[in-house]
Amino acid sequence: MRGVTPAVVFFASAALAPLVVRDAFFLDSIVLILLWGTTAAAWNVAGGYAGQISLGHSAFFGLGAYGAAILGTRWEISPWIGLVAGAGVATAIGLVIGYLSNRLRGPYFVLATIAFSQVLLIGSSRWRAFTAGSEGIPVPFRPGFWTLGLVDKRVWVWIMLGFALLAYLIALYLERARRGYQLAAVREDEDAALSLGVPARRLKVVAICVSAALTAACGALWTQYVGFVDPIYVFSIDLSIRFALAAVVGGLGTALGPFLGAALVTTVETYLRAEFGGIGGRFVGSYLIVYGCALIVIVRWMPQGVVGWIGERWPRRAAVRTAP
Amino acid sequence: MHAIPQLIVSTLLLAGVYALIAVGLTLIFGVMRVVNFAHGEFLMFGMYLAVGAFAFLRFDPYLTLVVSLPLGFAVGWASYRGVMGPIVHASHNVQVFTTVGLSIALQNLALVLFTADARFLRTEYYAVVVRIAGAAFNVAQIVAFAVAIALTAGLFAFMRWSYTGKVMRATAQDRHASALMGIDTDRVYALTWAVGITCVGAAGVLLAPVYPVYPTAGLQFVLIAYVAVVLGGLGDMAGAVIAALVVATVEVFGSYVIGTAWKEVLYLLLFITILIVRPAGLFGQRGAEALGM
Repeated sequence: MRGVTPAVVFFASAALAPLVVRDAFFLDSIVLILLWGTTAAAWNVAGGYAGQISLGHSAFFGLGAYGAAILGTRWEISPWIGLVAGAGVATAIGLVIGYLSNRLRGPYFVLATIAFSQVLLIGSSRWRAFTAGSEGIPVPFRPGFWTLGLVDKRVWVWIMLGFALLAYLIALYLERARRGYQLAAVREDEDAALSLGVPARRLKVVAICVSAALTAACGALWTQYVGFVDPIYVFSIDLSIRFALAAVVGGLGTALGPFLGAALVTTVETYLRAEFGGIGGRFVGSYLIVYGCALIVIVRWMPQGVVGWIGERWPRRAAVRTAP
Repeated sequence: MHAIPQLIVSTLLLAGVYALIAVGLTLIFGVMRVVNFAHGEFLMFGMYLAVGAFAFLRFDPYLTLVVSLPLGFAVGWASYRGVMGPIVHASHNVQVFTTVGLSIALQNLALVLFTADARFLRTEYYAVVVRIAGAAFNVAQIVAFAVAIALTAGLFAFMRWSYTGKVMRATAQDRHASALMGIDTDRVYALTWAVGITCVGAAGVLLAPVYPVYPTAGLQFVLIAYVAVVLGGLGDMAGAVIAALVVATVEVFGSYVIGTAWKEVLYLLLFITILIVRPAGLFGQRGAEALGM
């Protein structure tokens, strides 16, 4: 159990909170923290562990969201199946992007991912016959677990927690298993890893596909939770940045980091919106100014994020305490 | 086929401004090896500068242009010293996130300062149209084209013949060797960044009389600039100008044939195709994309 105590505390408190608190706003915050945390953790598999920085992950999120919404509204198919279908399509796109990651590095790869999400954004807002265009699709509320029409927010907390744990376990696997070490080697020096016989190309593609599928699953859940999907939001660059931001704030390439990052980012956002959003909506963007500046500051002074920053200080203090 | 002369004129007029945006972006990449994801936001601030100067001071946008050059340079220099300078030698990740952070902060600063409402700059001669040989020209577009071409040509001359331009090109070729030759590379980067921002700021002022201005207005133009810059070969200024012409052609003729709704998809698909088929661009160094340089 070494090293996972903070995670156990984090997830256990998320699991038990609904038993203690009934406040809808508080439960809503937990659902969103777990959801954005899972997207950030999914992004982290590609961006943090494999080192493939993507600013187009909203493409996958949107595919999941549209998968659930279109299958549900057109053929009344369960969102769970829509979730799997969206994840399947996202994996296929992930294969293409993974292939590109073997040809492009650094800024070229970032630009390619942005282009992908933009193509999907424009395609889904223009192809009105299939996606209902830029006005979006309202998802009808059909009560039941199988149709994900859940009034009780506690059930939502536990569903999201399931996916969050899945994302966390994938990250933990990458930190403990041989494949994870190989992936880290690819991230640090691909040529050196290749020369040592690490299947670098395949590992990167698999990492991107896993990341894509998990992001799509989050998109499907988000659509059912919010009850609405529109292309301008789900395929936006802002959303892609949001995934990356939570991972960077929490700590790139750490298992718990994205969740702590998402908790921090979501809380700060809620606070700033409540504080400044009321004044005629003029300060709507104020929290995003804070995010932008935070991003600049964190990559410069805390490149390991919050987790790294705490980790650096923790053992040192412990050592002082044990000194005679 | 009576539309052909008009399409050619529209293509040229668009290409001029696209070139000015792309040249600044590619210059920054060529010398500093940084892709500026905040490029569009500097463009947007240029647009707001023109709108604001016209609304409050009754400045003609072309008078604002003169003011915008030193102002853009000063803003560029300050943003280099404050934000970009410390991370110019850092890893790709750090550079990407720093310019992305800058982009978010600037975009939302504009949202808070100017609200999300689209603004329009309407001069008295806004609707004046000149007709030559069956093609109609909007005056604002012609001026934008002429000034953009003049500025781009000026930048080329500066890079080619001035001592500073040579120093910048030397740094682009090999930053370590030029440092050993006694070039203050940090100063060169600051200058490069400031010149790039000046170019895109001027492009913003030129675009303000033609397009609506809102906080995310930069995005559509900068996406085109990315396409042009990659197509021309990242860091290749002449390539960027030719590629700007190619992208403008695709956009104008594509809109004519299949409708304006899908024009963005056209150049984005062009972009993805280039990245798959020949990521080094038309004139770029083969293999550059695999090194991320």
